Amino acid sequence: MSSVLKKIGEPSYTLLEYVVLITLMIYVLTPLLWLLETSVNTDPTPYLSIPKGITIDHFIAVLTNRPITGGYAAHPVYMTRWIMNSLIISGTTVIIVVMLAALSGYSLSRLRFKGKNLLMTLILLSGFMPRMAMILPLFKLCRTLGFVDNLIGIAIVVSSGTLPTQIWILKGFFDQLPRDLEEQAWICGCDRISAVFRVILPNVGPGLAVVAFMSFLSGWGAFTVPLILIRREYLFPISLGIASVFIHNPGEIGLVVDYGPTCALAVLYAVPSIALYILLRERLMEIRLARLEVR
Amino acid sequence: MKILKIKAWIRDNLDQIVLSLLIVPALALIFTFQFIPAAWTIWFSFTDMALIGKKALNWSFIGFKNYLDLITDVYFWRSMNVTIQYCAVSLVLRFTIGMLAALFMTLSKVKGKIFIAAVFLLPSAIPGIMHPYVWISMLEPNYGTLNTILGSFGLPRQSWTYGAVTESLIMINTWAGYTFTMILMASAFKSIPREYYEVAEVYGASRWQKFRKVTFPLIKFPLILCLILIFKEDIDDFTYAYMFTGESPRPDFKTELLSLYAYHKAFHYYELGFGCAVGFIIAIIVFVLTLLQLKFARL
Repeated sequence: MSSVLKKIGEPSYTLLEYVVLITLMIYVLTPLLWLLETSVNTDPTPYLSIPKGITIDHFIAVLTNRPITGGYAAHPVYMTRWIMNSLIISGTTVIIVVMLAALSGYSLSRLRFKGKNLLMTLILLSGFMPRMAMILPLFKLCRTLGFVDNLIGIAIVVSSGTLPTQIWILKGFFDQLPRDLEEQAWICGCDRISAVFRVILPNVGPGLAVVAFMSFLSGWGAFTVPLILIRREYLFPISLGIASVFIHNPGEIGLVVDYGPTCALAVLYAVPSIALYILLRERLMEIRLARLEVR
Repeated sequence: MKILKIKAWIRDNLDQIVLSLLIVPALALIFTFQFIPAAWTIWFSFTDMALIGKKALNWSFIGFKNYLDLITDVYFWRSMNVTIQYCAVSLVLRFTIGMLAALFMTLSKVKGKIFIAAVFLLPSAIPGIMHPYVWISMLEPNYGTLNTILGSFGLPRQSWTYGAVTESLIMINTWAGYTFTMILMASAFKSIPREYYEVAEVYGASRWQKFRKVTFPLIKFPLILCLILIFKEDIDDFTYAYMFTGESPRPDFKTELLSLYAYHKAFHYYELGFGCAVGFIIAIIVFVLTLLQLKFARL
């Protein structure tokens, strides 16, 4: 008791830390209370209320693919297809981004030429045009290339958006790798390419994990690009699928048809990314960023 | 003779050539899907193209007319004003909160860091499409959580969705967007070797000196990158502004960010060329500010 009084009497950094932490937690969690409450409430409403009864029916409804609120859904439901589509998009994004970011990150780390800083800056700035202003040109370009209603095409477009940041991150890892390592590999008879595959890449494992994780998230959460490019409902990724079933007119803030299952789905959707983050926590802490070289 | 010379040059520089070729696929991808649409947008901004109607097909090049219209447009400047306030406050809040969260996840002595990390990740882990619903449940004037809390303390209720709408937007944007800073800065803090602080302590460095001489130089670069990417996202993304506005601008213009104004011009008033011109102005602002920040980062 006296120690508590003492702590209050002499505000220390620790006490201040707890106050700040609790304030932040309240800010982060208060909006989410409604989400959690509604996902188990027998009588879901759009506002926070004290539940009349607790149920897990909403979770079961989502997981068993049961038709939700008979007849209210604005579009047909292809839950399993959508999950597959999302996995295809994010898987392809991971493959493309990891491959290209590794190659170009290595190259940018080892090459020395005039204007390298300029090139790095341009890569970082490649997304400088607001996405909204590019909707029409992007659609026209993708129609010409046959990327409309094409999951691989979507993955390619999504990768082009996330690639710049990932190149910067991976270049940082390559910069930290001592050059002696690959020079030894050359002495042992490897050429440049096989040295990359046998010696360099295994040594930047954590970097590749970070890039893979981030690009997976960008593929999994992609919304705008599929919204522009996918017309057929059975090709929707899960993010667009949720929107089309539970909310009329994806992309517009419309009316949620059924709050219970929607919130249950949102809660379930959050589980994998948090689990992945906690699993990969130590790896993800190792992000190293490239720096522009001072001459 | 010439061919022989070229061959010799290739043989001498083979290593460098192979290395340079490795960048090509990535650059090709970025060029095709980022630069070409961007250039196309810039070209549109010099035409009087409309989304529908006669001008959709028979459009013509009109030079800088869109930009002249834009400079004399009162609404453009009002929306610029809103955007500057929104971006400045958002940038500070997103960065500060992300930074604090990162400190709690890595350096602080508070227990239960995995739990803290999981809680702080929640906003970005739920589907983005749910953010508007979550926040409408919070801000609705009559039944919303925030006004209920204010009411139970005897404080006056606010009209979050109408009068204080810019503040609401900043609140939502900060809530949804601080996690990027958190992840990046947490790793930056974690990657500072402990020994540096031990050495600093041996030499009797104060708390401030430790921060100034050890921490800051090592986190400076991720810090600048964070600021650049946050700013780009804030000025580019109008999802939350759109959720309080709809298909046409509000009469009081309190939610009309530049990007939303461009969207309304292009897709509501069908003046595509004008919308693209606003888009290009945004792009120039981002470009200049990024270059400035990179310049300062190197000092």
